[in-house]
Amino acid sequence: MSKTKIDYGAILRRYDAELENVSTPEAIAAKMLPSDPHLKEVASTVLYMKIREVGPVVMKALKEGVEPLILINKGLVAGMEIVSNLYAQHVYYLPEIMMAAKTMEIGISIAEKQIPGGRTTKGKVIMHAVEGDPHDIGKNIAAVMMRSSGFTVLDLGKDVAVDTVIATVKEEKPFMVSGTALMTTTMTACAAIAEKLKAAGINIPVMAAGGAVHRDFAESFDLGIYSEKAPQTPPIADKILAGYDWKKIRENWDDIVEGI
Amino acid sequence: MAKRFTKMAYSSPEEMVFGHSKAPISYGFGMKVGAGRVIPELNYAPRPGTEKSVDRLRKEYVDYISKDALDRALTLGFPDLQLETEWVSQMAAPEMSAPIVSGQRDLVEKYHDKYGINLAVRHTIPDQREAGQGLRLGLDKESAYPERFMTCVDTVCENGADVLSVESVGGKEFADYAVTHGDITAFLFGVGYLGSMDMEYIWKQMVSVAKKHKVIPGGDTNCSGANVAMFMAGGMMDNDVQKTFSAVARCISAARTLVAPECGATGPDKDCGYEGVIVKAITGLPAAQEGKNCQCAHADLQGNLMAQVTDMWSNESVEYHPEFGGSSIQCWLGTLGYEVSLMNTAIQMGQERTLRDLYMNSDRTRGPEGYVLAYDNAWKIGKVIAEYGDDYYLRAKAAGLTGANIIMEGYDKKELILTSKQLLVLKKMIKELEALPDNEDSFYEYCAKKYKDEVPDFNPKNYGL
Repeated sequence: MSKTKIDYGAILRRYDAELENVSTPEAIAAKMLPSDPHLKEVASTVLYMKIREVGPVVMKALKEGVEPLILINKGLVAGMEIVSNLYAQHVYYLPEIMMAAKTMEIGISIAEKQIPGGRTTKGKVIMHAVEGDPHDIGKNIAAVMMRSSGFTVLDLGKDVAVDTVIATVKEEKPFMVSGTALMTTTMTACAAIAEKLKAAGINIPVMAAGGAVHRDFAESFDLGIYSEKAPQTPPIADKILAGYDWKKIRENWDDIVEGI
Repeated sequence: MAKRFTKMAYSSPEEMVFGHSKAPISYGFGMKVGAGRVIPELNYAPRPGTEKSVDRLRKEYVDYISKDALDRALTLGFPDLQLETEWVSQMAAPEMSAPIVSGQRDLVEKYHDKYGINLAVRHTIPDQREAGQGLRLGLDKESAYPERFMTCVDTVCENGADVLSVESVGGKEFADYAVTHGDITAFLFGVGYLGSMDMEYIWKQMVSVAKKHKVIPGGDTNCSGANVAMFMAGGMMDNDVQKTFSAVARCISAARTLVAPECGATGPDKDCGYEGVIVKAITGLPAAQEGKNCQCAHADLQGNLMAQVTDMWSNESVEYHPEFGGSSIQCWLGTLGYEVSLMNTAIQMGQERTLRDLYMNSDRTRGPEGYVLAYDNAWKIGKVIAEYGDDYYLRAKAAGLTGANIIMEGYDKKELILTSKQLLVLKKMIKELEALPDNEDSFYEYCAKKYKDEVPDFNPKNYGL
């Protein structure tokens, strides 16, 4: 191996190091945590991913009189919103999102048992990796982000037959269905799903996503909309709930996902 | 038990160079790999929709893609070409795949006979097995994917392929969890330990079938684990997964990929196994790699470096479509072939070690993964794998820990820059790996308990446990 001294800075630039946000989670979260001591403690378990502590902390707060719905929305969900903020600022990354979401879900599952009739969510979506495609890591990440944003996710898994998706949509009546594909030869299942839904008179948006999928393909068939990456899925879903149909999502797509 | 590599094929990293391996191999129509010349390997994908019928898919692969490639190789004066058909999932049905395997065989034979060009075809079968349903024969009552896997092996070997390969998925249920949760112990358990057992299970059978039909058992890759980590770690502007994590995961994956040669695979191994440089250092078998000329498939941070000691140079995959310069596969074959021509010129002029070091230094500090794959560091990681070669767990752990310490040393001597988050994750991994049990049984017990609820698809029967 050559012993010549090399100035690597003349060959490449480490933008990841140059542009790093060196803020700490504690510094950013200090201004965002709830002031109520019970809710602050609950939100902190999510923020700092204290997966073993969240159960006892939630039970203690409930026992001391915190309303379960308030505990969920202003404690657990508030903690997750701070996590999302840290993620957007590149202080937290994917593992923190996954662990914080899991912490939040444990807390919610305890608190919602004390809500008569259960907790209502924003709405229901069906997610899956398409027929013939075993790659589901992207779908799993997007599903966590959707749950963390207050949606009910019916996750059908991977390599899901088109007809299974159609039958489940008819039964569960979601407001959106998403399919992910890593291969160009499997992504065509998204178009087949959209075609069959349309034929059945079900005009919900069909989100096509995943490594092989590009915007041009997702918008090449009626009902089709696109998500380039997992964090874009919740804001797009929010717009659908706000009344946007698949055509309006397409028209406003750049604005909806700007900066995400 | 399969053979284990406990000694290094190369006594020093300096010995390693592209185009030369310790165990050159000949097959196909005049193909010689690792024998003093680097070979271009072209990989391609059919257009969406062509998978809908047998005739249409055969036409796409044989009449369009393969013929285009062979014609362009002649046009540009390339002496060698290996085609690689990575099967789309629909080809798991023998009626879809058999005409393609035999059709490509007939075509390369015709071109070799007519023009004298050295040719071969590698077929890489899909591994559709799912941990939740069962990885071994007889376990998957729902889809029978393990049986379909072996049918694919038979179809490749009975219809005239030259090389058999796969991108196997053993351990993937843990790899997915590990990558998304930043959990290096889960990666070690899934990929380094369980994945190695699955490799031994499938590769013994694959080698047996391949030998019966005189087909070359090429090799495998941890595409489903280490490459997922690498792609999610991404480029300079992506940080979902920390690059120190993907680098250490890559080192662990080498201990798994090594199992294919231990079961009788002879190389060339799989292009997308970036850990192939570590495996070559241990085994001396021919390696296939990809990097700068696979930008059609993905971008990574070691595009030049990966060419440093390779014997085949690949484009990973490109979808067939028209470009200004011909079809897409013709254009990407052009970039591959000319790069290979440069390497072979360097060999002819006695400058191969200079070019190797140019490739390597170009990307040595672009990121932690390139740093551990630089041939001098890769050799050190191979050495500890060989030292613990008899034990799947200990050798994978040693690979991960050695890789992590190499990165730390590079950072400490200010050769390699790390972000504070990359450094934090690196230190956490070193601490975690150092604290793990020193024997397989304790490690298994620890992980089986730790991940019982976290990885619900884990079934010990998948790994013969």
